[in-house]
Amino acid sequence: MHGFTEIDNTADTPGTRAPLVLGATRFHEVTATVCRPNESTRPPMAWTVMFVISLLLVMNLGFCVNYLIFTGVGVWGLNNPVMWAFDITNFVFWVGIGHAGTLISAILFLFRQKWRTGINRFAEAMTIFAVICAGLFPGIHVGRVWMAYWLFPIPNQMEMWPQFRSPLLWDVFAVSTYFTVSLMFWYVGLIPDLATMRDRAKGKVQQIAYGLFALGWRGSNRHWHRYERAYLLLAALSTPLVLSVHSVVSFDFATSQLPGWHTTIFPPYFVAGAIFSGFAMVVTLAVPARELFGLKNLITLRHLDNMNKVILVTGCMVGYAYGMEFFIAWYSGALYEKFAFMNRAFGQYAWAYWIMVSCNVITPQLFWSKTVRTSIPLMFILSLFVNVGMWFERFVIIVSSLANDFLPTSWDKFVPTWVDIGTMLGAFGLFGVLFLLFCRFLPMIAIAEVKAVMPQADPHWEGWQHGNGAGAHVAAAHEPGESGSRSA
Amino acid sequence: MAHHDHHAPDLSAGNIGGGKFGALAPRLFLAGWPLFAFGCWMALRGDNIADGARAYLVAMVLALATCLGALFFVIVQHLTRAGWSVAVRRPAEAIAQNLRWIWILFLPIAWMGWTGKLVDLYPWADLGVLRSIAPAEAELVANKAGYLNQKFFFVRSAAYFAVWALLANFFWSSSVRQDRTGSPSISARCRKWSGPAMILFGLSTTFASFDWIMSLSPAWFSTMFGVYFFAVCATCGLSAVTLTCIALQRGGQLRGIVTAEHYHDLGKLLFAFGIVFWAYIAFSQFMLIWYGNLPEETAWFLPRQVGQWYWISWGLLLGHFILPFVLLISRWPKRWPSSLAVGCAWMYLFGVVDICYLVLPHIPHDLAEFTDYRAFAEKHAADGPHGPGLPFLVAGAVLLVFAGTARALRREQSLASRDPSLAESLAFENM
Repeated sequence: MHGFTEIDNTADTPGTRAPLVLGATRFHEVTATVCRPNESTRPPMAWTVMFVISLLLVMNLGFCVNYLIFTGVGVWGLNNPVMWAFDITNFVFWVGIGHAGTLISAILFLFRQKWRTGINRFAEAMTIFAVICAGLFPGIHVGRVWMAYWLFPIPNQMEMWPQFRSPLLWDVFAVSTYFTVSLMFWYVGLIPDLATMRDRAKGKVQQIAYGLFALGWRGSNRHWHRYERAYLLLAALSTPLVLSVHSVVSFDFATSQLPGWHTTIFPPYFVAGAIFSGFAMVVTLAVPARELFGLKNLITLRHLDNMNKVILVTGCMVGYAYGMEFFIAWYSGALYEKFAFMNRAFGQYAWAYWIMVSCNVITPQLFWSKTVRTSIPLMFILSLFVNVGMWFERFVIIVSSLANDFLPTSWDKFVPTWVDIGTMLGAFGLFGVLFLLFCRFLPMIAIAEVKAVMPQADPHWEGWQHGNGAGAHVAAAHEPGESGSRSA
Repeated sequence: MAHHDHHAPDLSAGNIGGGKFGALAPRLFLAGWPLFAFGCWMALRGDNIADGARAYLVAMVLALATCLGALFFVIVQHLTRAGWSVAVRRPAEAIAQNLRWIWILFLPIAWMGWTGKLVDLYPWADLGVLRSIAPAEAELVANKAGYLNQKFFFVRSAAYFAVWALLANFFWSSSVRQDRTGSPSISARCRKWSGPAMILFGLSTTFASFDWIMSLSPAWFSTMFGVYFFAVCATCGLSAVTLTCIALQRGGQLRGIVTAEHYHDLGKLLFAFGIVFWAYIAFSQFMLIWYGNLPEETAWFLPRQVGQWYWISWGLLLGHFILPFVLLISRWPKRWPSSLAVGCAWMYLFGVVDICYLVLPHIPHDLAEFTDYRAFAEKHAADGPHGPGLPFLVAGAVLLVFAGTARALRREQSLASRDPSLAESLAFENM
């Protein structure tokens, strides 16, 4: 697959649908392409390099977290007005990243967006790993981590309960529900592909490992029927989660009375921002992954083009929210509101604010141009910008409002310590390790689902009569190791 | 491509016209204008027109929300290159094209500005009057006089109507031109401009809702308000589109073209935007203000929680969310036109209730007198919707919008029959 030239399937002719799978004329080719990275004896050099770097960052994370636990939260740069900073910024950032996976797997599924099949598997994997990274931060933020279980309402002899009226407790429920449902969705989707991996596996260990998790899948009609039912139900369950999780996260801020936090648009604004950052992360990961593992026929330019459009749309929504906040801060006539926003734009954190605006509102506008949307290097750079911008958005919201609150005498400045920075980088390492392991050991693309959107999967497909990919229709059924091919 | 085992639907002129629904246009006009005019007379006669002007505003906002919701539907179909919706897009375009004349409904408000009566509706229109009743509020409102002043208000209003007329006209005339030329480049052009159109739509509806509805209580503010108004538009617009499709079919048109599959999807959209999204936005706005408990924000909800408004608030929760959620979540009520029509009429009715809830209550000027909620509630226990002429105005406005729609569908086809994606829409099946 290396040295493969990019095929442009982004042209939009009204009345026709562009192909979503390029090159493959037989279902088996899809299976082979997706399984190749998992079945090769050695990962690509770039994978190894990235893995080593990520592993080093994880070790650094372990060190920082242990140092924090043994010394106390004083090792962070927090001070009296700024009691939330990098920790909660990272938490919100990672929860947000997860949202693209859920949107792609649930909402785009309900919207019958067939192109989602090329990217849903690893976007969902990304969701799960991002929520793991997110969960780390409130856990270590509580200070005495050995009491972190107090976050949950567990009956105890002391009759100690969490405050049910606090959005922080709602967060515990929202995020843990989100993680559970996402994991279920991802795993259920994986089952047919795990069976394919099991059937193709050469070694005993692989056969047992994949076989164990394939739950005895044989690809029978009855299996498929139940699978599709379960998938639809899980999609319906996940859909409200796309809205609810980040809405609850936004409640953490918006239920307070702090200027810059207490504003009614926060829930949909946070949801739009989450989808925005999540899609940017999918592009950031998809661009190198398709290059490295030869998946360009399955994650085509059209997939990337569509994702960039979603980034543009959600970027505009985020820009709308920024605009509304600013306008209403002025319109409200409330002194403190006005100050909070002027302070964001021109105060001590103005540099962070303008990084946020540039990366989230200004540069994504380049995606109006199709040339930019279909240029691999440009979209990669812009997606990195969005990642940076969305991290800074959370930083700006959290820190600028806290550092300069109602009383000028209590104002202070937050300066991150090396532990703050080390923990932040460490979380990226943790994400990287999990994601790279996923790329190595699990099919990155939902094999069965991709096959279902190929023209050959249509029961009325007549291409084989016209010598178009002769016999694909029939051949797929008899291909060894094809228990995952849905339409066979 | 339509599958070979499907019967080709009848695309002849006899099946894609306005049918009996289109023929209703003159009668709808004849019924609508007098009702509306009578409502206007009842609402706007006399010296104190504060309540009447609000009743008038309810009718104007309702007509607008219906057409704007339909316009949103049209834009979003082009934006997403949707194939399924071609069969039902023309009725939506026909509702949206009313935006070309709907500025007429704004004339009474312009007249109020002309005759110095705007202050009866918008307290910010004359700060002197406001200062004499509520000095503290006047001081707050004086801060925003750069935005809330009569001149700028009318300039902005004119701009909104211009933008909407332009957008609605663009999508309507492009679509009917394609009936004649069949040129696929028209579809490509609509798709190309749907992005900027959506941005214009979003900004204009947001600021229109600030100007016409939020500024009724000029001291109050909510960043969510524009999004809330969008949910109102979606509720009214999507239910009106569905009802128009059903009316066309009952009138003998679009047979075999609009199927249970399309109704199912229209129902799902109404369910998603009109029921669930509305509830999400309404809940978020209410909960955050309730939780924050800041007097300048809660003041807006207080008059909506006393007297008859108390029951209307609960009625909204029940009738706009809980009941339709339970009734429309299943598959069959969305696929059977009769039950879907009831659902849409119900949602449209609650769209009206919601607009009344947004527009009619006044924030009382005696708020500062009360130290606790109970005393306030007792004092205002008799409060309720007052709107002289309201039923006539609302009925008249709805009839006029549907008359304009029927007229458009009588003059042009009720199906975008040469849209390149029509075949995809005709063959469309839900999973």
